[in-house]
Amino acid sequence: MTELRRSTPRFKWGIFAVHAALILACVINIYPLLRIISVSLRPGNRLISTDLALIPDGATLLSYVSVIKNTNFLLWLWNSLIITVATSLIGVILASTAGYAFSRFRFPGNKLGLTLLLGTQMIPAGMLLLPLFLMVMKLGLINTYLGMVIAYSVSSLPFSIWILKGYYDTVPRSLEEAAMVDGTTQFGAFYRIVLPLSTPALAIAFLFNFTAAWNEYLVARVILSNSAKYTWTLGLFELQGQFITQWGMFAAGSVLITIPVLMVFLYSSKWLVSGLTLGSVKG
Amino acid sequence: MASVTFSNVKKIYGDNEVLHKVNLEIQDKEFLILVGPSGCGKSTLLRMLAGLEEISSGEIAIDGQVVNDLPPRDRQLAMVFQDYALYPHMTVEENMSFGLRIRKLPQEEIDSRVMDAANTLQIQKFLKRKPRQLSGGQRQRVAIGRAIVRKPKVFLFDEPLSNLDAKLREEMRVELAKLHKKLGATMVYVTHDQVEAMTLASRIAVMHAGYIQQIGTPIEVYSRPDNIFVAGFIGSPTMNFMDGSLETEGELLYFKNEAMKLRVPFPLCEGAEFDRNAVVLGVRPEDVYTERKLDKNLGDMVRAKVEVVELLGHRKNVYLECGKSRLLATVPALFKTEEAMFLWFDMDRVHLFDKASGKRIC
Repeated sequence: MTELRRSTPRFKWGIFAVHAALILACVINIYPLLRIISVSLRPGNRLISTDLALIPDGATLLSYVSVIKNTNFLLWLWNSLIITVATSLIGVILASTAGYAFSRFRFPGNKLGLTLLLGTQMIPAGMLLLPLFLMVMKLGLINTYLGMVIAYSVSSLPFSIWILKGYYDTVPRSLEEAAMVDGTTQFGAFYRIVLPLSTPALAIAFLFNFTAAWNEYLVARVILSNSAKYTWTLGLFELQGQFITQWGMFAAGSVLITIPVLMVFLYSSKWLVSGLTLGSVKG
Repeated sequence: MASVTFSNVKKIYGDNEVLHKVNLEIQDKEFLILVGPSGCGKSTLLRMLAGLEEISSGEIAIDGQVVNDLPPRDRQLAMVFQDYALYPHMTVEENMSFGLRIRKLPQEEIDSRVMDAANTLQIQKFLKRKPRQLSGGQRQRVAIGRAIVRKPKVFLFDEPLSNLDAKLREEMRVELAKLHKKLGATMVYVTHDQVEAMTLASRIAVMHAGYIQQIGTPIEVYSRPDNIFVAGFIGSPTMNFMDGSLETEGELLYFKNEAMKLRVPFPLCEGAEFDRNAVVLGVRPEDVYTERKLDKNLGDMVRAKVEVVELLGHRKNVYLECGKSRLLATVPALFKTEEAMFLWFDMDRVHLFDKASGKRIC
């Protein structure tokens, strides 16, 4: 009994602290989002308001209509979508095969290669800006989708390779060996057995590439100067003028651009299931 | 079906030679069991046959065709893995038909082979299930089914029963014996369990430290082990070993040590080289008697002190101290043990080995 009495209050305090921290984190995350939604619905062009209501008085969708009608918003969205989807797909395809090689084959430079890949992640993005720009320029790909896709892919590949390599390491080798004895090539075993089992890691790598490319601003600023090729990050920034900023449209645009990411997240979540390899080997 | 030949096969990892010039011939329709302790190279040998490990030197031939450079898929073998290695994202049916689908067999042929195998292994009910919905024994059946449908030249088993519990292992052992009889296929089976080896094998190859120590039928290996390692490894409980020397008195040969003097009633191998002052006498626990038997060629009486008695139900294990050696005798459960006992060995069934080389000398 004494033991129970002593431990119960401490236990409750722990729960309280955890919940308080979680609630605080939620508030910090959700508050800006709600503010943006609120601003996008306000009539006029007011950023600051004393009103705390989520849906303001005289709420209107005018900002949404105007950002779509009066700007190139849909074009920016289209550009972003092409670049992001291409980057994510190419990134996942390259990383899935590279990660497999790092996971399964013993070759000179295996460890060094992995360490170098990790090393590139330690370099701040700003430092890579100039080399990336020079590389894309020399390839003659300034102001092109391809230039953007290459620039984004090279920066997100190392992380994806690490994620996938780590996941492949957990897939039992005997599955591939069984497949090879059953009649596949090494690549066949990878394609038919390992890849289908690695969908959670592939989904994570895809999501990472997608969000990274979708939200990127700096590299786009340097590589794209033609407004017809602008991604939404550059486009929305255009709304911020020297003397006047279209806060309503800015907020409306910001809300709209979360929709594709949200859809991708919701769709990918079904792949993010654990325990796919359950039952394959003993245990 | 097919025969398999290993000629001077070596496996070297870096500086470490794990298989030393292995020569082994496996006959058509034979059930050959590679048995040995962990790390003796038996699984490596099997994996080299499957094409999953490179051959450092030597040749492996299936039906006379050298397969050193053939990838696993072209060797027409099927393998059952220790951890089952079922494809977790496929149903039992898809698992079993995988190899056939890869080879693009007609669908009717695939279906009939899968059904046949499922009937043989009594897994028809599970065909639509995923491996994770099966028990260990059922998974092992599926893994065997996946091998059967392929109709391979040779079946390879890599410790297939070691993940099952004792009762299931016994059941599967019987199933495998039946399967071999039914299919009449060449099977190569790796295990560290000498009971599996003794019960299933047409022939056993006992391996130790990268060498094949002895090849023979189970009874040959059991009753005439070539060396101390095989003698100690095969048989449960293990053989008793006693150090001593050989002495000739007149025309008679005696094994002597501090606790016993036994007349050796059989001749030694001709040409065997050994040191007479350092030999080892081996006697299996079931050949140690606690009373005189007229129908056996029992040697002279040996005095021993009882250390521990284990009752197994139908038998008793009696651990004894006899001079510097420890002995195990298995006696009937009702036998009354005392502190000191007299023992007799069945001298027709004792073994003599050279202590230095471990080789049999009789």
